[in-house]
Amino acid sequence: MDRAITEFRLHGRGGQGIVVAAAIFAEAVFIDGHYARAFSLFGAERRGAPVTAFIRTGSERLMPRSRIYNPDCVVVFDATISGNTLYAGLKDEGKLLLNAGPGRQEMVPPDLFLNQRFQIFKINARDIAWKHQLAIGSFPMINTVMLGAMAKVSGLATIEALIKSIRQRVSASIDANIKAAIDGYENVEEVSCFVRGTS
Amino acid sequence: MALKMISGNQAAAIAVQRVGVDLVTAYPITPQTAIVEALADFAANGELGGDFVSVESEYAALACCNGAAATGARVFTATGSHGLAYMHEMIHWCSGARLPIVMVNVNRTIGAPWCLDPDQGDSLSQRDTGWLQLYCANGQEVFDSVIQAFILAEKLLLPCMVVFDGFYISHTYEVVDVADEEIVRKLVGPPAFAPQVIPGQPGNLHGLSTGETQLKLVKERHQAMSGVPLLFAQINAAFNEQLGRSYNIVEAMIPPGAKRAVVAVGATAETVRWALPALDHTGLIQLRLFRPFPAAEIREVVREKGLNELLVIDRNCSVGMGGIFAQELRSALYGMKSPPLVRSLILAGGVDLTENMLLDLLQSTGPEENFALRWGDEF
Repeated sequence: MDRAITEFRLHGRGGQGIVVAAAIFAEAVFIDGHYARAFSLFGAERRGAPVTAFIRTGSERLMPRSRIYNPDCVVVFDATISGNTLYAGLKDEGKLLLNAGPGRQEMVPPDLFLNQRFQIFKINARDIAWKHQLAIGSFPMINTVMLGAMAKVSGLATIEALIKSIRQRVSASIDANIKAAIDGYENVEEVSCFVRGTS
Repeated sequence: MALKMISGNQAAAIAVQRVGVDLVTAYPITPQTAIVEALADFAANGELGGDFVSVESEYAALACCNGAAATGARVFTATGSHGLAYMHEMIHWCSGARLPIVMVNVNRTIGAPWCLDPDQGDSLSQRDTGWLQLYCANGQEVFDSVIQAFILAEKLLLPCMVVFDGFYISHTYEVVDVADEEIVRKLVGPPAFAPQVIPGQPGNLHGLSTGETQLKLVKERHQAMSGVPLLFAQINAAFNEQLGRSYNIVEAMIPPGAKRAVVAVGATAETVRWALPALDHTGLIQLRLFRPFPAAEIREVVREKGLNELLVIDRNCSVGMGGIFAQELRSALYGMKSPPLVRSLILAGGVDLTENMLLDLLQSTGPEENFALRWGDEF
């Protein structure tokens, strides 16, 4: 039995759709022939409050049913949540994916980019969401952009599987969401100071 | 049959739709809310096949189920935590009245203080109400157990509670094999229990009885419950034939030579099962049934495998006595020639069981020390 498991932790705010994003990603991984689970921790979630979601993937249906403490990959939808705790527990040589740009929600603490313990990737998800007119009022809906970036960075879901999953699970602006995911997939870039083997 | 990426709550709701019910009535409470939402959606889309009645409280939900079931209707409700506690009086009434009501309870701690994590104390505190209680370890077991609950309840004329951990199962999206409506309806069959009252024909039900009458009725219920293992064997055969899967009341995975086992119920059982290859000469006993308590099946596993130590994961605590499953196990093993030592890890408040916690716990176990009771915050 192959016991290799890959674990993700997603940080965002209520209303950004990170719980839905986790389920879409899990489905995409499953479409690609692996098992996956998505789950969330519940406080009294509401719009704007910090929300955490998790994804666990593996080649067997059986997986531990515990929370995730040492993720292989941390995905940050909103870096203003709480600085250093964002990557707490992230494995050495793991991956940190940031929604980063000039906007207020995309302001990443600059010293974060200097971290040499893990790989860092960034995507300006807000601009891509606006480009595809994905917004609720003035609130950009970035989750499908982030999903495209997650697929690329993790290598655990193909863009084809992700598109299929979005078609199955998203009910509005499907085409725009698919284009946003493709843009996320194609535009995510590595900005690491990390050098393999030196951490 | 289709593999779907759904949450435990969705699995429960879809199973109810597949079974086909005359009435759903429920009051939403975290972490059960998504079940009510999904069933309300089925009703709104005309896919439920029965009525969805909105009620003002959990007490009203179960009272409404009582009335409908008394007319021979197949009914379903779902709750958790404070909602279940609020139903308490009606919970007794359902079993006394021999109404085959099926209810899902999603475990959540009962306050004070408010807490959403999955302590099992809500459902376990209904131990003596005369309901059957099934516990699930994953989304697939939720889907299948809801179907099995209707069969058990209607055959035995006893209400049945299907229980699973909040969040760890209710809010976890995972792959579930969702059986077609046609197959599920074949497994369950149409509701075939006699109505106690016919609408339009007034009558009086369950009027004042004597203690002697009650004793007879309680004895009948106790005897009816003892029919579960046999009925479960028949259900397993039918499930195997139609769906290619089945469940033991007591699922034992004991590696050759192992003399100790972790006993787990619900979501923690899956974490233990995953960790088994890393655990030293240790097996797993997963209990799927709490009422009736599967004493004979547990004794058989213990005897057959020669187990001398059981370590019970209790996501609950009976304050003043300890873990509830541990207590029940000790009682079930009483009188055996050389009963295994029963130890207990208490994860009250529904705290997480990790693989590392399990490894620490098993490594620190030794007969010379007092390990009868350990708490989750010690690791």
